[in-house]
Amino acid sequence: MRACLSVFRLRLRLETQYRGAALGGIVCQIFFGLILSALYRALYFGKPQVRPLAHVITYVWLQQAFFRMLLSSDGDLMDKIRTGGIAYDLCRPLPLYGFYYARIMAQKLMGSLLRAVPMIIFAALLPGGWGMGAPASLPALLAAAAALVLGLSCVCAMENITMAFTMRTLDPRGIQAMLNLLMTILSGNLLPLTLFPDSWQRMITLLPYAQLLDAPIRLYTGEYALGQAPQVLLLQAGWTAALIAAGCWLWKRNQKRLVLQGG
Amino acid sequence: MSYIHVQNLSKRFTVRKKREKGSLLREKEEVQALRGVSFDIGQGELIGYIGPNGAGKSTTVKILSGIMTPDGGEAVVGGQVPWRERKTYVRRIGVVFGQRMQLWWDVPILDSFSLLRDIYRVPEEAYQARLSELTEALSLKDILRTPLRQLSLGQRMRAELCGSLLHRPEILFLDEPTIGLDAVSKLALRDFLRWENREHRTTILLTTHDMEDISALCSRVMVLGHGSKLYDGELQDLLRRYDRTRTVDIRYGREGCVPAVPPSVVMEKNGDGFRLTYRPESYPTADLLSALQQAGPIREMTVQSQNIDHLIADMYREMDL
Amino acid sequence: MDTLRIYLRSMGILIKGQLQYPVSFFLQTLAQLIMEGGELLAVILLVDRFDHLNQWGPGDLYFFFGLMSVTFYLTECFGRGITGNFPSMVRSGQLDTLLVRPRGILTQVLCSAVDPRRVACMAVGTVSLIIGSRMAEISWSASKALLLAESVFCGFFLILGLFLIEGILCIHSVKSVEIANALTYGGRSACQYPVDVFPRPLRTLFTVVAPFALVMHVPASHILGKPIFGWPGWTAFVSPLAGFVLFFVMTALFARAMRFYRSAGS
Repeated sequence: MRACLSVFRLRLRLETQYRGAALGGIVCQIFFGLILSALYRALYFGKPQVRPLAHVITYVWLQQAFFRMLLSSDGDLMDKIRTGGIAYDLCRPLPLYGFYYARIMAQKLMGSLLRAVPMIIFAALLPGGWGMGAPASLPALLAAAAALVLGLSCVCAMENITMAFTMRTLDPRGIQAMLNLLMTILSGNLLPLTLFPDSWQRMITLLPYAQLLDAPIRLYTGEYALGQAPQVLLLQAGWTAALIAAGCWLWKRNQKRLVLQGG
Repeated sequence: MSYIHVQNLSKRFTVRKKREKGSLLREKEEVQALRGVSFDIGQGELIGYIGPNGAGKSTTVKILSGIMTPDGGEAVVGGQVPWRERKTYVRRIGVVFGQRMQLWWDVPILDSFSLLRDIYRVPEEAYQARLSELTEALSLKDILRTPLRQLSLGQRMRAELCGSLLHRPEILFLDEPTIGLDAVSKLALRDFLRWENREHRTTILLTTHDMEDISALCSRVMVLGHGSKLYDGELQDLLRRYDRTRTVDIRYGREGCVPAVPPSVVMEKNGDGFRLTYRPESYPTADLLSALQQAGPIREMTVQSQNIDHLIADMYREMDL
Repeated sequence: MDTLRIYLRSMGILIKGQLQYPVSFFLQTLAQLIMEGGELLAVILLVDRFDHLNQWGPGDLYFFFGLMSVTFYLTECFGRGITGNFPSMVRSGQLDTLLVRPRGILTQVLCSAVDPRRVACMAVGTVSLIIGSRMAEISWSASKALLLAESVFCGFFLILGLFLIEGILCIHSVKSVEIANALTYGGRSACQYPVDVFPRPLRTLFTVVAPFALVMHVPASHILGKPIFGWPGWTAFVSPLAGFVLFFVMTALFARAMRFYRSAGS
């Protein structure tokens, strides 16, 4: 527990140290948000849809604000695995899965909070039709917040599995690029999942990728009614539990293998 | 007329200091990397350039190799100002950075060399002649077709040297070339530099922390500290000036012999003998020897002057670096 | 001529080096293919739902997407030295090794990297161009083909110029260099759609500051027979030159910045 806390503290210090880079990232993300808002506005003026434009724009801003959460960017750790420096970590008296889980969580949480807060404030201040809309209701906001926490837990479990795979292949860049691609498409970052063909959506929203940001955003905008909230949260929790279990199993096997190889 | 003429060279950097907790403004700090350095070097000299980290050695090398522009002062190398007409100037020089690779990582070093030939516009015959001369001198023959990444650090450094010398530079700047090399590679590298200097009268400016490099290669050394030149002259003179303590290890033929020495001599027990440290100018060596002899029959005795690294460390300390 | 030879020889060496790891190379190329395929998929899904964007029909949209894709990844392929490694070369001081050689800095930076995996992205872009051209029923002529080639060629220099900004900021040791991404990657994402979709400030930005509109949209709309901005036909041949202008402005700024270059590491 203490070890996990110090991981969080270290990460926070690191993130605040690279404020300059974070600022550049925020400006860039805001710019992307503006471009996408403009695009969907133009598309909607040509052919209005059942789903309100305001929801799509809110979707865009929230996706941009929490972009950092999706990004697998722990290059540090990946390098460690590639160069074999991970052997040091394997010697530490810690439950390995938990240690990395905390590490990934710290990075995603601190990194995205630092960016999301200013971005959401900015997006909320934009004039109507451009900015982020208010939540459907207070309970909807609370449900969305709970779903975001579950989404974060889920994405950490996913990244941990990726990492476990990375340890087994020597050059994981190809596989990683594909996983990143699945992430940007199926999580709704490239194109809001709400704009996918309706028949596809029924399938896609069941996948783990949709649990990360899509589910919380839909709860926020009221796309998912409050009555559906327990069901949504349950699906998220189910995926999270399943992915954590799978990750634990993989790490255990990896550890055994590493011990056998003798480092 | 000297070959490299440097007068009053100065360079300032602004460094952004890491900010204190809670303060909003970033502090800027000016660092004077060079404050008016002057020297002259004749053609064909092999000069050592030493000083602690941050003294301004690399800055000097970077200015003289045309990478950086100084804030003030002048430098003329072989009739040219390094930071003007960069392209014509750098064709006459060779630079080796100990910690930076310039050859291509994944391909055989021979491919790298022939690309360098094109970059430097070396005519084919001249290239072939030079290449065979250098492969011989640097014993690269067996590894010419090996990709750089498969070479050991020592082999890599030899390949880098070859790459920097293919166009027959008149001057060679070496920035810590022996860093991380094993003893055999270091010796080979030194032999080669001596050969290149003698054979082609290549002027060599060598920056290093390895005092063995300096004492093996250079008769003249320049010491830099805090951006100023502190010493310029014969290495032997410098050593003599700071080499003021000697160490004597002595063992007697029978037990219970204790030499009587004045308090200026530090004596400690060393195994079954003694170690005495003294300064000849405060207690002449002859006096010490007779004092040692009077104490009993000597079985074994060695006299050492100080290790060169310690000596330089002492010197830096004394110069307050 | 001599410089071109050096460039080609460098490319040869670099590609030879990358092919030393064939499996990895293949997988990464495949990943690039799928990645750009995903981008195209997003456009297809939008077309499926919305059918058109202002006056632009599906064919027009695929054509614009293809043009951006081919141009952008052509630049990322052959201009990799500038689009990829350049800022880190400045930061790590690796640029020093280029500065001590008797050739232009930018030439050498361009010679220092190539990314053949991007061919996969260009293939997706080409497919999109062909589909777009079919659907929009473009009647091709020599002058239209020439115009397309000119647009891609000038676009190459435009994008190189925009990527140079990050390097220039790095030399001046600016911290938030990621801001430059707004113009490069942001420009790509925005201007794969015709510029008149966007409100005035963005339109001005992409016409005057980062002139994607002049370099790509003016000629492309001319090829599609629906001139954007309602400009006369001859302008389509002149406006792409804005890409060169931007590139030369940036190289001048770069040369100026190099006077302040302080190499990293002591």
